Amino acid sequence: MTQLALVIDLNVCVGCHACVTSCKQWNSSGAAGPMTDDMPYGKDPTGTFFNRVQTYEVGTFPFTETVHFPKSCLHCEDAPCVPVCPTGASHKREKDGIVLVDYDKCIGCGYCSWACPYGAREFDEHEKVMKKCTLCVDRIYDDALPESERRPACVIACPTSARLYGDIHDPNSIVSLAIRESGGYQLMPELGTQPANHYLPRHKTKQHIHEDELVRVDNPLKKEGPLPIDEEGPFLEDSTSW
Amino acid sequence: MAKKIALRSIQGNTAGYYLLMAVLGALIALGLGAAYYMEHNGHHVTGMTNQIVWGMPHVFAVFLIVAASGALNVASISSVFNKSLYKPLAPLSGLLAVALLVGGLTVLVLDLGRPDRLIVAMTYYNFKSIFAWNIFLYTGFLGIVAVYLWMMLEKRFNQHSSQVGFVAFVWRLILTTGTGSIFGFLVARQYYDAAIMAPLFILMSFAFGLAIFNIVLAVAFKGTQRPLGDVLVERLRKLLGIFVAAVLFFVAIFHLTNLYATEHHGVEHFILDGDNVYTGLFWVGFMLFGSIIPLVLCLTPSFSKSLGAVLTASVLVIAGGLSQMYIIIIGGQAYPLEIFPGKEVSSSFFDGVVNSYAPSFPEIALGVGGTAFALFIVAFAVKVLHFLPQSLANSEIDPHFSATEAEGENATNAASA
Repeated sequence: MTQLALVIDLNVCVGCHACVTSCKQWNSSGAAGPMTDDMPYGKDPTGTFFNRVQTYEVGTFPFTETVHFPKSCLHCEDAPCVPVCPTGASHKREKDGIVLVDYDKCIGCGYCSWACPYGAREFDEHEKVMKKCTLCVDRIYDDALPESERRPACVIACPTSARLYGDIHDPNSIVSLAIRESGGYQLMPELGTQPANHYLPRHKTKQHIHEDELVRVDNPLKKEGPLPIDEEGPFLEDSTSW
Repeated sequence: MAKKIALRSIQGNTAGYYLLMAVLGALIALGLGAAYYMEHNGHHVTGMTNQIVWGMPHVFAVFLIVAASGALNVASISSVFNKSLYKPLAPLSGLLAVALLVGGLTVLVLDLGRPDRLIVAMTYYNFKSIFAWNIFLYTGFLGIVAVYLWMMLEKRFNQHSSQVGFVAFVWRLILTTGTGSIFGFLVARQYYDAAIMAPLFILMSFAFGLAIFNIVLAVAFKGTQRPLGDVLVERLRKLLGIFVAAVLFFVAIFHLTNLYATEHHGVEHFILDGDNVYTGLFWVGFMLFGSIIPLVLCLTPSFSKSLGAVLTASVLVIAGGLSQMYIIIIGGQAYPLEIFPGKEVSSSFFDGVVNSYAPSFPEIALGVGGTAFALFIVAFAVKVLHFLPQSLANSEIDPHFSATEAEGENATNAASA
């Protein structure tokens, strides 16, 4: 079975929110729309976003760092939001493993929101049904688009290519490779939901430099560093290295 | 042997009755208006958010649904456990159960995102969903109790009432198990995922249902000047006390179990010892006013046979029950999801932070409107059908009531007069 998913590289995500805005733009204009915002400039803005970038401060001052953590529906292989839905509106596709909500069958009871341990459900306050990331299902199969654009909007928009997209069940896919070789991990694996989306951990690049490496061994023009003071006056080799 | 007590409808032509109906009607209209307002504008006009998806209407709805199955207690005691003292009260008990369930479901449905799609909920079922089971449990309960009432009220079928009563009793236990399991089956949230939720809800239903029953009974009898003997009052007082104690026991076990597991310390600290409204509601609302004071009123001999004590305890149990529902439903959602277990987390978009919720007026109005609707049904039904016993005087209901006691009682009454 194919299981489409996103792999997000936390090492290169800079928290620019391009994925958030591109997701909002594509899905507002598409089948999942309109995803209206209320009081966007007010004190308590509300709105529907399928993808949000959470920004965490990790550690205790002064040893802190900022982590940007994009989060959307993780398209769990054993999705807890699916069995709880009373009408079966929330479902997982056999074909590609995408978890979707049938907006015509959703009664807006909100129980899936209770069941999702990742808080990925978004209640559309105007259509009054539950929504969530569709993995741009209305885009990835669109034959009218060039092959290179048949990817989720957030993946295309990411300026640092922090978002990878593919089939995690295909061992040769770019996402499987990334998970395998860069230590891709799932959120809360202990729950057994098997989230399809994975995260690549942040890692520090460390390089040890020895002191002698800071001094140039070859210094043909002797232009760097202070010149030795010559009491006896300049010699020819002081001005040229031949 | 207790006498056969006649059931008679009330006259319902006094100013008090019309005033009651007018007030209930106004509250129902307010509730409907609130539902329309929220439906028209969307949930952003309420206190509900993506994090607190069930707000005040669900507190009322779940409370009423739980109380509905508990209101059937009195009928069950008479039909299933064969206590003849409660027999004349069984029809009122069944009526109250149906009315409370209808009231609760009205609130629940009107608070759905798409109440217009109720037909979808009735035609598409996902049998893995406890919510879908509950649709059957609720409608089944209404049907069974309707048949039960029919068996009780139609003399020709009286002989079958105990069998149907038994089915209703089993069904109500399953129904409340289903309601409790809505929370018990939730793995995602720290405060739930506990099998004890089902029996806890069953016990809560006993207490809340009986508390509402006591108030309805007292108002109906005092309002129509029908005699209400202290033998029954004393039984209801002790019964309520036992139910309140049982709820307290299950709540204690629930919290102690959580406190034993380190992974639940966070949420227990949040509910029991937090700087928030839930801690106040738990200790003051539920424990002090909803449990301890009612226990004193119901189980100490100094309040023996006191209708005032029973009614005060009943009102407090209802208030404590609403507090408990608020803690379970809102408090459980307010506590953040544990996406990074063991880490202290707070982020820019709600993750890792305590979600705030303040109930808005329309939400409260919808909940109160649903409660008023349930009471309206009862008030209307007792007028058009023979639900209320003509008398519940000691001499009528007590099988052990003797002439000497009657003399003694008369003498006491005369002395006190």
